[in-house]
Amino acid sequence: MKELFSWFKGQKWVPQDFQIECWTAYSEGKNGMLHAPTGSGKTYALWGAILQDTIKNKQYPLGLQVLWITPLRALATEIQKATQRMTTDLCPGLKVELRTGDSPQSERTRQKRSPSFGLITTPESLHVLISNKEHKRYFENLQIIVVDEWHELLGSKRGVQIELALAYLRSFLPKLKVWGISATLGNKTLARKILLGNTKKYTSITAQIQKEIKVISIIPNKMEQFPWRGHLGIHLLPEVLKLIEKNKTTLLFTNTRAQCEIWFHKILEGNPDLAGSIAMHHGSIDKKIRLWVEDALRKEELKVVVCTSSLDLGVDFSPVESCIQIGSPKGVGRFIQRAGRSGHRPNVPSKIYFLPTYALELIESVALQEGIKQQKIEDRIPYLNAYDVLLQFLMTLAVGSGFYPDTLFPVIKKTFCYQTLDQKKWHWLLNFLVKGSQSLEHYDEYKKVNVLANGLLQVTHKGIAMRHRLSMGTIVSDADLKVRYQKGGYLGAIEEWFVSKLNPGDVFTFSGHNLELIRLQHMEVIVKKSKIKKAKVPAWMGGRMSFSAHLSDLLKLTLQNKTHKNSPEFVALEPIFRQQQKESILPKPHEFLIERFHTKEGCHTLFYPFEGYAIHEAMASLIAYRISLLRPISFTMSYNDYGFELLSDQAFDKISFLDNDLFTTQYILEDLEKSINLSEMARRRFRDIAVISGLVFQGFPNKPTKTKHLQSGSQLFYNVFKDYEPDNLLYQQAIEETYDHGMERGRLLKVFEAIQRQNIVWKECNQPTPLSFPIITDRMRTKLSSENIEDRIKKMYLQLEKASR
Amino acid sequence: MIEIVIHQQHFILHPSGGIYWKETQTWLLADVHLGKVAHFRKHGIAVPRKIEGIFYQKIDRLLKKFPSKRVIFLGDLFHSYQNNEWYLFEAWVNKQKAKLILIQGNHDIIPVKEFKILGLTVVDSFEEDEFYFTHYPIEKEPYFVFCGHLHPGAKLMGIGHQQLKLPCFYQTPKKLILPAFGSFTGLHLVSPTTEDQVYAITENAVLEIEKKN
Repeated sequence: MKELFSWFKGQKWVPQDFQIECWTAYSEGKNGMLHAPTGSGKTYALWGAILQDTIKNKQYPLGLQVLWITPLRALATEIQKATQRMTTDLCPGLKVELRTGDSPQSERTRQKRSPSFGLITTPESLHVLISNKEHKRYFENLQIIVVDEWHELLGSKRGVQIELALAYLRSFLPKLKVWGISATLGNKTLARKILLGNTKKYTSITAQIQKEIKVISIIPNKMEQFPWRGHLGIHLLPEVLKLIEKNKTTLLFTNTRAQCEIWFHKILEGNPDLAGSIAMHHGSIDKKIRLWVEDALRKEELKVVVCTSSLDLGVDFSPVESCIQIGSPKGVGRFIQRAGRSGHRPNVPSKIYFLPTYALELIESVALQEGIKQQKIEDRIPYLNAYDVLLQFLMTLAVGSGFYPDTLFPVIKKTFCYQTLDQKKWHWLLNFLVKGSQSLEHYDEYKKVNVLANGLLQVTHKGIAMRHRLSMGTIVSDADLKVRYQKGGYLGAIEEWFVSKLNPGDVFTFSGHNLELIRLQHMEVIVKKSKIKKAKVPAWMGGRMSFSAHLSDLLKLTLQNKTHKNSPEFVALEPIFRQQQKESILPKPHEFLIERFHTKEGCHTLFYPFEGYAIHEAMASLIAYRISLLRPISFTMSYNDYGFELLSDQAFDKISFLDNDLFTTQYILEDLEKSINLSEMARRRFRDIAVISGLVFQGFPNKPTKTKHLQSGSQLFYNVFKDYEPDNLLYQQAIEETYDHGMERGRLLKVFEAIQRQNIVWKECNQPTPLSFPIITDRMRTKLSSENIEDRIKKMYLQLEKASR
Repeated sequence: MIEIVIHQQHFILHPSGGIYWKETQTWLLADVHLGKVAHFRKHGIAVPRKIEGIFYQKIDRLLKKFPSKRVIFLGDLFHSYQNNEWYLFEAWVNKQKAKLILIQGNHDIIPVKEFKILGLTVVDSFEEDEFYFTHYPIEKEPYFVFCGHLHPGAKLMGIGHQQLKLPCFYQTPKKLILPAFGSFTGLHLVSPTTEDQVYAITENAVLEIEKKN
């Protein structure tokens, strides 16, 4: 260990306890899990341990030894630089290389021929490596896999990709060591088990870095004029400008890219002197620009950076003095992570300002502060039975060296995700690949995976192999088009659906500039700078996050707990609470509030369980379903973290609603399943599944025409499976995911039990209440109907095109 | 079903997506996309095969419903290259008494002679009386045009943020675009103007849709 100590000394650093613990545990041959926040020196903890092992062996090993997996490409570069530096000092001659989707083909071929000592890569690129025919030889010397930022991957399908890759590599590398690095999360033990598997030789190390976090709410001066709904918070621009002025460097966190673009513009408009010292950072901006921003941050050349979650992870920006969070961060864990980006110097607290986008969001600030105090970090819920990812993985093996089903089955069973996979489902999956999930072969020309004479499953058709290689990866998004100046120079990538709404001559805001669309050409958007001030802002899809369960518990506590009544946030909210009480009530712990009022949009009925978005989604469709059994009626539903709304063209009767005991826990799961089918909540889930499993092919980059006759939307598949093949596992998966990832079945039952003990307070209101306002103005809605379709159509109409332009 | 009159001729809009021209005992069908399922399957995309037979059941029912002397396919009868679907189609054609006319669409890349062997008439477009039949939605003075290609769909709105998307017949003063007759086809939402008519179809009914500003 002396080499490491002296290297640290050379950097004028002192090794921290958790780093030494890692070095020791690793030298004892253990697997492990390191919980350490971003920017704490976690990379050196693991990489130091690995190098120490190499030094001990005196002779340099041959072939690929270390695989380091990180969720973001941008992080990969950073880690490669850091690890290469340490390696050059301690083991001169050894190389650490990068392998991501950005790596050019020549680089990949060279890496295949002469593998480096270490390779930094992403989950997708790891699968690409496995799809290689010669992958077993390539990996034969592999000693250790490090999975970085495991907490980011765990609750996603990319986490399942990691599980599959690890189980598969372990099957022919029995001595393979695995280490995970993760921020703190609620379900630490589960996170460790999923990654390390059944091994008894492991250790868990937690970096004891307690950082004080100061949360300050930005409270509007005139609360009466602050909007009841909204998502931008632009009203508070003057306060933000003051904060930027006061601090050396500020990070402004937004939740969506659209917010990010708008805030960037408004800040610059508000203080033109900031030109040159303001920058923007989000996932759609060209990599070069992003790297420049990160670099400039480090060099203290920037005063403010407006960003999205793209700056949540990775790189250490010591000069950042304060952070501003626009709107709810939706979870305690994320909020802490963002706050932690500021005040990196020892003994300086991290400071984060919470900027509400609408009045009631101030309550969330109080709930978040409480959450930080109690260290209520969220769980990450891992996926179970993600058949789409498994089908993709089986194809990945089949386009490479192929696989024998009987040998592979026990390997797949070892993963957490597929622990309950049985022979029947396994055969369904194989049949899907080999025969296209049919039993009849009459006239069928289905071609995908072939069964060779020796029982090996392999793809022999070149076109099919090619299509799979191009569509590997679990992150689903619309096709991205590159944005380029006419005179040259890339600005980034923009989603196709947004561009499709523009005509040449239209002006839109992107990457902080107002750009005029000149034309679309080969998947490129050709633009020039525009002087026009008013522009369309791309409202990127996605990014709609649900409140965590912890946060909703905290929210309820905060609202009903008297101890917070004197906090500045609650004092500011006084007028809003008064308005709420004038029109309705603020429910007490033993009360369950239902509000009813009419607007020109129809009849609104609002329910307030305060259980968080996910539970409300389930409750809304369940209650809508039960009401729809009483009489034919059509509902559209919307929800937020406080409650949900059932909107209908006709009012349903209060008395029969109350008399029929619609909150009963009897048949709750059966009713829920029926309501999911009826409301088609699963439809949205199916989009990702169709792409991941290879049903929907998104086209070759730059060659969109070749696949013309093979393009089809996921919605069409959803309909077809629903009508003709409801036992299809991919269709079933969409429904299961809606249950498990959306709504947490077990918790739902408890919520209904709790309501049974509450008094239902039904308030007829003359106008929308402050509590209801953010819900009823939400445009994202689910539908459920028990009316006959022809009857519904008779009440509907077609919107005529507005005479535009 | 809804009956409309154009140039004193009577046309029945049927929920299947077909139109029956009473005076000439003719069925008009657009965008059947036969063999699409087989084409997808041949390329490793597992569309359920149950959809394959639906066309034949659907059309046989139509031909029995009214006296039918003639069927005009308004283009995109087949989705792509010849595949096994062809045998099913051949068997069906051999049983037909009605005259079958194919107007070629952009998807019809199977050589014309293959259809001619089966006894179909293949044309790019044709006119008859005051009517013009073609695949692409165009206007052709002084004719009234029947066409397909678009797969028109209507997005209906209602009170309480109700919304429905349905396939439809889309009629403008000079043309009528038929919905896709094929089962595994998507929708293209139309934006009507005041002078247009939209007839949405459900499983059992055709309904004229009210328009609002």
